[in-house]
Amino acid sequence: MSVAEEMAPAEPTSVEVPAIGVVSELVHLGLQDDGAIEVPPYGGGSPAGWYRHGPTPGEIGPAVILGHRNASEGGPGIFAELPTMEVGDTIAVTRDDGTLAEFVVYRTDRFPQEEFPTLDVYGNTVGPELRLITCDGLNRDTGVLEDNFIVYAELKD
Amino acid sequence: MRTSTFFAVPALALGGLALTASPAMADSHDDSWSVQTSLEELNSSGTTGEVMIDIHGQEATVTMNVTGAAEEFMDGPFPHAQHIHIGAQGLCPGPDADTDGDGVVSTPEGHHFYGDIGTSLTTEGDTSPDSGLAIDRFPGGSEYSYERTFELSDDTLTAVEEGTAVVVVHGVDPDLMPEEAAQKQSELDPELPLAATLPAACGTLSASQMEEMPDGGADTGAPVQADNGMNLALGGGALALAALGGAWAVRRHTARA
Repeated sequence: MSVAEEMAPAEPTSVEVPAIGVVSELVHLGLQDDGAIEVPPYGGGSPAGWYRHGPTPGEIGPAVILGHRNASEGGPGIFAELPTMEVGDTIAVTRDDGTLAEFVVYRTDRFPQEEFPTLDVYGNTVGPELRLITCDGLNRDTGVLEDNFIVYAELKD
Repeated sequence: MRTSTFFAVPALALGGLALTASPAMADSHDDSWSVQTSLEELNSSGTTGEVMIDIHGQEATVTMNVTGAAEEFMDGPFPHAQHIHIGAQGLCPGPDADTDGDGVVSTPEGHHFYGDIGTSLTTEGDTSPDSGLAIDRFPGGSEYSYERTFELSDDTLTAVEEGTAVVVVHGVDPDLMPEEAAQKQSELDPELPLAATLPAACGTLSASQMEEMPDGGADTGAPVQADNGMNLALGGGALALAALGGAWAVRRHTARA
């Protein structure tokens, strides 16, 4: 498989995921004090967010977009349906230079957060890639979502 | 097979990546950056792994996970000498590096690819090249995790910045080696069998494409009320929030979901 050419750096402004009917503005996310990645606000209607210490979508490397599975009031989060995504689905990211970065899903996976494969998700890539991340694996005894669900996509050639 | 682009990258390609990524990183990191590599097997050892090094000035925190390594040596865990090699091409040797034709690539045969030991990744004490064969201070067994923070030498730090630093894990199960090689003693220490010092896995360190690597998973799920877990399936409404009341703020900090 050939690797798509890198795009110029440009910060993402919105993401569209047709397979799950999602269109979202993007907030910018950094790191929490403990080194874990920041997440968007927990409330209903919370948008997805882009990890600003990583590549912009379209640059070489793993660009990361996070969205909640659920809202603190109990309703759906912006990425409620992410775990239904399949290989071949597309993701479009609009960037602040007016260009669109289009990605194709090549893998989906789910990991316990305690065994999160950092390099597998955030490690270097040969071409421009994108990760969509949400939660999964509800523990009904504790009410905690214990897993992360990851969508791996690469820039369309 | 497409399990992971990162791990599928051949060692040579990663070497090229390091060359393009490192100079840019050297400009942009304010004294705090990271490098990484995936360890690919050498000598059909079945040993693989990953390495991440967070660097703050001269201080390095090395995190390694290794699997498929040789398990037992003289009734104890097989010791795995592991080093950052520097000062050569910054590459891992291929099978062609076997110049004496014994079917394996020994440490000296790989030398002109990855160079001398710059740092010994020991579990305690000295980390200089002097500890290169300190087999009682290296991790052991078939699967291990390693984490240690220490000062990098100037030589190693320079090689890491230039993209010519290579992590090598040594020690191969003699049963996986050609018979002739399995009978040999090590060229590095005549007291040890060749199997003990044979390179088992190798990877060239390259600058992380991320300015800062997040630690662990993402808290992308709001904590939900335990006995009302079905609310996750949407539409639980405002009642759940009201019911949780004052406990909410506390849960937010303790629950990782």
